[in-house]
This record gives sequence, C-alpha cells and structure tokens, in this order.
Amino acid sequence: MSAIAVEQLSHVYAGAEGGVPALEDITIDVDAGKFVVIVGPSGCGKTSLLMMLAGLRHQTQGTILCAGKPIPEPDPERVGVVFQEASLFPWLTALDNIEFPLALRGTPRDDRRRRAEEMLSLVGLDGFGGRYPHELSGGMKQRVSIARGLVQDPPVLLMDEPFAALDEQTRMTMGHELLRIWSTTRKTVVFITHSLTEAVYLADEVLVMSDRPGRIIDRIEISLPRPRTYEMMATDTFGKLRERIWQQIRKAA
Amino acid sequence: MSQAQIVAFRLALLAAVFAAWQLLPSHGIVDARLLPPLGDVLAMLGELLGRSQVHEAIAVTASEVIVAFVIAVPLGAAIGVLAAENDYFGQIFKPMLFYVFSVPKSIFLPMFILIFGIGFEQKVAYAAFSTIFIVIMSATAAVESVKTDHVLVARSYGATRTQILLRIYVPSMMPVLLETLRISMIFNFTGVMIAEMYASRTGIGHLIANWGENFQMPQLFAGVILLAAVAILFNEVIRHLEVRFSTWRT
Ligand SMILES: Nc1ncnc2c1ncn2[C@@H]1O[C@H](COP(=O)(O)OP(=O)(O)O)[C@@H](O)[C@H]1O
Ligand SMILES: [Mg+2]
Repeated sequence: MSAIAVEQLSHVYAGAEGGVPALEDITIDVDAGKFVVIVGPSGCGKTSLLMMLAGLRHQTQGTILCAGKPIPEPDPERVGVVFQEASLFPWLTALDNIEFPLALRGTPRDDRRRRAEEMLSLVGLDGFGGRYPHELSGGMKQRVSIARGLVQDPPVLLMDEPFAALDEQTRMTMGHELLRIWSTTRKTVVFITHSLTEAVYLADEVLVMSDRPGRIIDRIEISLPRPRTYEMMATDTFGKLRERIWQQIRKAA
Repeated sequence: MSQAQIVAFRLALLAAVFAAWQLLPSHGIVDARLLPPLGDVLAMLGELLGRSQVHEAIAVTASEVIVAFVIAVPLGAAIGVLAAENDYFGQIFKPMLFYVFSVPKSIFLPMFILIFGIGFEQKVAYAAFSTIFIVIMSATAAVESVKTDHVLVARSYGATRTQILLRIYVPSMMPVLLETLRISMIFNFTGVMIAEMYASRTGIGHLIANWGENFQMPQLFAGVILLAAVAILFNEVIRHLEVRFSTWRT
C-alpha cells in the first residue's frame, strides 16, 4: 500500500470570476519510506498541496489517501509537518517546542520529556534543550522543527521549504543531516524546495510542477546511490538530472 | 558605560534632586512657601498618613481606581478582541474607536457630572471611559500580534480551539497584555484624579486640589509624593512581569 495516494486532485480558491484555480489534476503515488521532492515556480500551489496532504485544507476535487485513509483533518499520528522558516513558538524552549504536540494530547510529563530528549538527540542538539528559539541559529531552529515533526513518530513527514531561509552552507549541511535522520527513521518524506541541487541531492523522485494552476509535468527518478555524498554533486549524472529538471521548469514557466 | 555606572549616576541624580529640594528652600534660595524643604514635606506626609480624614480619602480613591479598572480592562479587552477577530464588527467600529481615542477625554467630564452627579459612580464612569479606548486599541494590537503561522502549526498537531486559545493566543499576547495593563492603569489613575480634582467631596484628588487652592504647600507636595509612589510602584511591578514574560520577544 502506498503511504500517500493523491488522485485527480484539483483546487480552486474562492474569489472573483469563478475563483483562482490553484491545482489541477494532481495524481501522486508515494511508496512507504520514499523521499519525494516537489519543485515548481512560486505560486504554483506547492504549499496548498502540502496543506491538503496534512489535512489543513480541503481540496475542491479529487481524493487523498494517507496510509490508506482519507485525511479530512490534521492527524499528527499519521502526518508530521515541518514548516517554512521559524515556526517554533518563541515563548517555549527547544525541548518544550518539541514536546508541544505531546502536550496537546496530554501525554504524561515524564514520558513527554523522555521522548523529546530522544528527538533532540536524534537531530544532533544534545544539550540545547533549554534554549529559546532566539538563542538558536537558523539551522538549529530547523532541527528543532524537524524534531517536533517527528516526536509523535508519524509514518509521513511533510516539509515545506524548510531550509529556504538558511545560507547555502547551512542548507547543505541540513540536507545531509535530514538524510541521516531519514535513514534512521525510515519515514515517507514529501519535501518542497526551490533549490534544484537540493532536490536532486535529497530525492528518490522529483516531481516538477507547472506554473499556476499547478500540474505535475514531470517525474524524475533519481537513481543516485545512497548514502548520498557531497562529492556526487560534482558528477555528470547529478548535473544531467539537475539540468533536466531545470529544462522542465523553464518550459513550464 | 557599564550597568553599574549607569545605576550609580541615576542614584546620584536622585540624591542631587532631593538635596536641592532640601537645601535650596532651607537656605532661602527659593521661596520655602512655594517649595517647602523635602524634610518638612516628608514630616507632613507622615502626619497626614495618621489622619483618619486622609485614610478615608485614600480608601475612596483606591476603590474608585480599582472598580474603574476592573470594569474598563475586561470590557475593553473583549471589545478589542472582537474588533480584531470579527471582520464586520472591526470594520464598522474600528474607525469610530480610533476617532474617539484621539479626543481628550477630559472635555467629556462635565457630561459625566450631569449624568452621574459628583459621587463615586461619576468617578468610576469617567475613569473607565478615559481608560477603555487605550485598552481596546491595545487588545486589538495584541490579537494582531498572534502569528497565523503559529496557529497553523498548532492546528497541524491537532490542537482544539481551546488549546489554540490557551497555548497560542495567551502566550503570544501576554507581553502586549501586560503592557496594556500598565498603560491603562496610568490612564485610569489620571481619570480618577482629574474627576476628583474637578468636582468632588472626597478622595485624594479632592484633598490635593483643596491644598493647592488654600496654598498649603507641604500638604500638597506630600500628596504628590504619595500618589507618585503608588503609581510608580504599580508600574514597576507590572513592568517586572512584562520583562519575565517577554524575554522571547526580540
Ligand atoms: N488562502 C488562499 N486564498 C486564496 N488564494 C490563495 C490562498 N492560498 C494560496 N492562494 C493562491 O494560490 C496560489 C498557490 O499558492 P501556494 O500554494 O502558496 O504556492 P507555492 O507554495 O507554490 O508558492 C497562489 O497564487 C496564491 O496566491
Ligand atoms: Mg509555498
């Protein structure tokens, strides 16, 4: 069974003159444990699609099955979400941020703390649990966000341009770290990005979306071996894959 | 300049002001009838605090301040939240609230006297009236300071409406709300004082106005010191809380 199955999904935002068509005839099938990256011009509906996968917004047409079941509302046990930039709560420490989803469900304090400590260590932030977000670097904040997304151990992790606000170097490191975390947790990941390099580096499969209304115009299998290394970026294969995605996006825009 | 130096300078400045207040009148450099020496004023303050008439006035003023505050703050906060959260209500009432906010409230005082007389109700009504607009404005700002992203994150983790209110709205708004409490108390206190000084039979404001009219400067200054001390104390307590709740605000 696929982890995520989207079938003929379309979405129109209500508005003047029949509304704004944002997504059109999207069909996606993601096998469990796969790392799928979505790229596309801004405003093509990537965030909208992710919201729908998370149960945060309802599509006007089509179906979404997540682990075989529809997702009419957010279900943190099935789907974790990591948002763009710093969506951490600035009034909570790193550890309290990670515990937040568990606190909502009334998990006992000690269990919560233990679980959050585990996550903190998974994302490589041992010893930083007591810091507030403004005391953390951009990369560290996103590590905390990832830990928060994983704290309830959902099989699916959705990530909306999580590293967009980071500088190039931190971004590379974070991509690498994400792959490490992914390989130890074996989640199904849907990852949105603007960066083609990031897309090729991370993905098993890259989905290219067209300009609005967003459609899937290409699916590119990334057959680079795992674990991925920085050296691979310099290879011909990497360059060709990147080039192919670029051509598709150019055509689409 | 280091923090310690700054504190030292502040204390020195304060000491200089107090010393001048003591020495200039006592040496006849300024007229002691206009500015009685600090020592005399403090002695008078001690004496006043022993008088039952003053106790009564303090009780009256304090209850006016508290009742007006307890009316204006929750009511203003509710209206402000409504104006921020409800589009229709906001669009209809916001401009009007802004207009009234910009008008000096004291010009309405005679109307309050016509409606409520010059007793307790009039003081409370006028003070609440002069406070409520700043509370409404601030509460609106507090709601608007809640980030939609934070609400979205909470929703994605399955937060209920109550949880969103308690775990996102309340902590997001806390710094602005505390600031509101502090500033609205300034407006509220001012409202009560103006009302008492304008027309009243009792209260600290009434005593101060009388002392001024009768040229009783030691009493007048003692009253000023007393009120200033209370106002500063309240302000500092809330400000202390504000700092505690807003370390994360950068
Ligand atoms: N809540 C909304 N109401 C109306 N239009 C929206 C809403 N959210 C997004 N849109 C529009 O839908 C389109 C896709 O937006 P989005 O999903 O954020 O794109 P992306 O993430 O790819 O940049 C944009 O044109 C945007 O203006
Ligand atoms: Mg987006």
